[in-house]
Amino acid sequence: MRPPADAIGTLSLIVGVIAFLIFVGVEAALVYAIWRYRASRLAGEPARFESNRRLEIAWTAAPALILAVIFVLTLGAMAEINGAGVAPAMRIAATGHQWWWEFSYGGTKTANELHIPVATPIDLDLTSVDVIHSFWVPELGPKMDMLPGTTNHLRLLARRAGSYDGQCAEFCGVEHAWMRIRVIVQSQAEFDTWLGAQRLPAAVKGVDGERVFLTNICVNCHTIAGTAASGTAGPDLTHVASRGTIGAGVLPNDVARMRAWLADPQRYKPGSLMPRVPLSDADLDALAAYLGALK
Amino acid sequence: MTAIPLWVRRPAGERVGWLRTVDHKEIGVLYIGMGVAFFAIGGLEALLLRAQLATPEATLVDPETFNQAFTVHGVTMILLAVVPLLVGFANYMVPLMIGARDVAFPRLNALSFWLSLVGGIVLYFSFLAGGAPDTGWFSYAPLSERAFAPGTGVDYYILGLAVNGAGTIIGAINLTVTILLMRCPGMAISRVPLFVWMTLVTSVLILGAYPALTAALVMLFVDRQLGGHFFDPAGGGQAVLWQHLFWFFGHPEVYIMVLPAMGMISEVIPVFSRKPIFGYGFVAGSSVAIAFLSFGVWAHHMFAVGLGDTENAIFSATSMLIAIPTGVKIFNWIATMIGGRLRMTTAMLFAVGFIAMFVIGGLSGVALAVVPIDLAVTDSYFVVAHLHYVLFGGTMLGIFAGAYYWFPKMTGRLLSEGLGRWHFWLTFAGFNLTFLPQHWLGAVGMPRRVFTYAASTGWGPLNLISTIGATILAVAMVVFFVNLARSLRSGEIAGDDPWDAFTLEWSTTSPPPPENFTRIPAVTGRRPLWDRKHPESRDKK
Repeated sequence: MRPPADAIGTLSLIVGVIAFLIFVGVEAALVYAIWRYRASRLAGEPARFESNRRLEIAWTAAPALILAVIFVLTLGAMAEINGAGVAPAMRIAATGHQWWWEFSYGGTKTANELHIPVATPIDLDLTSVDVIHSFWVPELGPKMDMLPGTTNHLRLLARRAGSYDGQCAEFCGVEHAWMRIRVIVQSQAEFDTWLGAQRLPAAVKGVDGERVFLTNICVNCHTIAGTAASGTAGPDLTHVASRGTIGAGVLPNDVARMRAWLADPQRYKPGSLMPRVPLSDADLDALAAYLGALK
Repeated sequence: MTAIPLWVRRPAGERVGWLRTVDHKEIGVLYIGMGVAFFAIGGLEALLLRAQLATPEATLVDPETFNQAFTVHGVTMILLAVVPLLVGFANYMVPLMIGARDVAFPRLNALSFWLSLVGGIVLYFSFLAGGAPDTGWFSYAPLSERAFAPGTGVDYYILGLAVNGAGTIIGAINLTVTILLMRCPGMAISRVPLFVWMTLVTSVLILGAYPALTAALVMLFVDRQLGGHFFDPAGGGQAVLWQHLFWFFGHPEVYIMVLPAMGMISEVIPVFSRKPIFGYGFVAGSSVAIAFLSFGVWAHHMFAVGLGDTENAIFSATSMLIAIPTGVKIFNWIATMIGGRLRMTTAMLFAVGFIAMFVIGGLSGVALAVVPIDLAVTDSYFVVAHLHYVLFGGTMLGIFAGAYYWFPKMTGRLLSEGLGRWHFWLTFAGFNLTFLPQHWLGAVGMPRRVFTYAASTGWGPLNLISTIGATILAVAMVVFFVNLARSLRSGEIAGDDPWDAFTLEWSTTSPPPPENFTRIPAVTGRRPLWDRKHPESRDKK
């Protein structure tokens, strides 16, 4: 099968050209009428023709024919973007949260960055835990809504490796604008390596930052595999340092920014469900260093 | 039927005042005044949105304020500006155009205006009561449920829209009865002016569509205030149900807003082409076709919801079908101009501008009916561009055409043609500069309703152009308001029939007397005033 984005691209081109030709035709007729029939150019009363049945039928039938062609093409492309009967090589569960994304590879969870192997048909199983979100990465083609209580499916197929940005397309509340996605398309080998690493428990143990994390309210919402923390309201942090951004795109991910974010998430993402947790400077340093080590 | 005199002559100069009036013309002016005021407010909200989006990662307004502003902007423009403006012109003009003394139920007419206005005031009261609604004009559940919108904003949205909608429904009943029963002798339904035809179709659409909204609002109110679960999946409800109900109202609403404006230009174009409308029957009939189809296209707003391919294909087909009667209208307007003697007055400029811009909105609408294209660009700025080409490039330009055309009838004075030209060209430039780039922004990935965007997206330059366009559009509106104010005070005296027009409203004085006509006219054709002025070449039939 072709990537869905290609099917949409071809169809958009065809519809775009047809629309452009109609646009030019109508505007040209309009400009011609204004130029040709100005009262200042012509004397006397105009001829009073009021209708012409053949003409009316013609300009009813012609658009109908064009639309019939477009509709047939539409049906073809609809089948194509749904996978055209090709079974997916892998399913990934994607869950929308206010205002971040959870991706689960058979129980191995990550957030906001979706890794997929190149040239491989993937199906996303989309749902939401709160309001309606919509998964949209423009360069990969169609979007699909994520509804609470329902699972939708979206076929992904990326032709080239690389990183593709997108974001939530259905208004989902105060931080809708900062619910960004990055899709990282890798070779199968790179992908397998990445997934293997994600399946491991936390890379560091017994550091000071881990103590800060486990003895504060962080654990109510976040999971770090290999520790007692198993909250599910916020992103899984087991390999948080392997991700490129903090807060679903609001900050680049490094230790200094992580410390600033931990000190006051509301400053960077006002309305975010992550509260400001009062921590000492020393605890903040330790916590940021710990999270920065969770590759 | 025989004409029953509903109107009673009062002593000369006696008026009951704006609060107590039941005169259709005064109520029409009240509606138009309400529409103009809310149009200005909605415009200022739009400027705030554009100012925030001019540059990436701007912090001019906080996210919460932005979300309230776009929600209230949408509701204001659609329900408190455009609909009252159209209903206002219909209120004023329909009885005059069909040779009646007033609408069928004058007191009910006053009630519908005041309900509409109170609905708007209730909505705006939310700002004082702790925050405006912030869930978008279509207020999707479950975001609008109390769990996610705990403030009172959505409650004011529910109450405001329900009250405003009641006014609109009552007004539609009134106009329907008026048009069906109060036409003057000789005015068969096949002879009524097209603006009246479109008003009739629109009124029937309102009667079908608005109750679905009212029902949805009541259900949401039950969810929020009485512990219901209509739209709450956790309680066994369905989030998508809200969307079905809302768009069952919402898509006919588009035609409720477009058809009367099409009616306006169907009056303006023949008069300034000095020809009868081409294909009267097809223009009127295509409106009926649009009305029927418009109740069968709502789910094209929901292609990305995951209804399934079969449903999507059906709604794709019906949505494409509706382009056909719409195209028929455009061809007929152009055919009316062909062979005519065109006077390019400001009213005519705006009417031609309507056609030129509405074509773009119509074509992008066909693209959105193509499911795979819709899945790519729905909920993006492409849709924002599309809907503004329909509702501003279409409806608002049509309303401006109607305003320049009928202002002399309503006030006795002409609007300035000089300022009118400035108004038109600034509007044309500002409008296209604002909304044309938004097609590209949507196609490359900018979702609608974002309070900002990352600098790395590269969306900055096109957004800046869009904001500059919005500023020009604002200047154009200032020119229009100056024109209104100046012409009201010192505009050129219009006389009864400044445009050498065709229809009955121009046969009475400007402004018309309270009883509209000294004698109820009798007509023999579609252009009664033409027949009267040119007895030697009356229209056939």
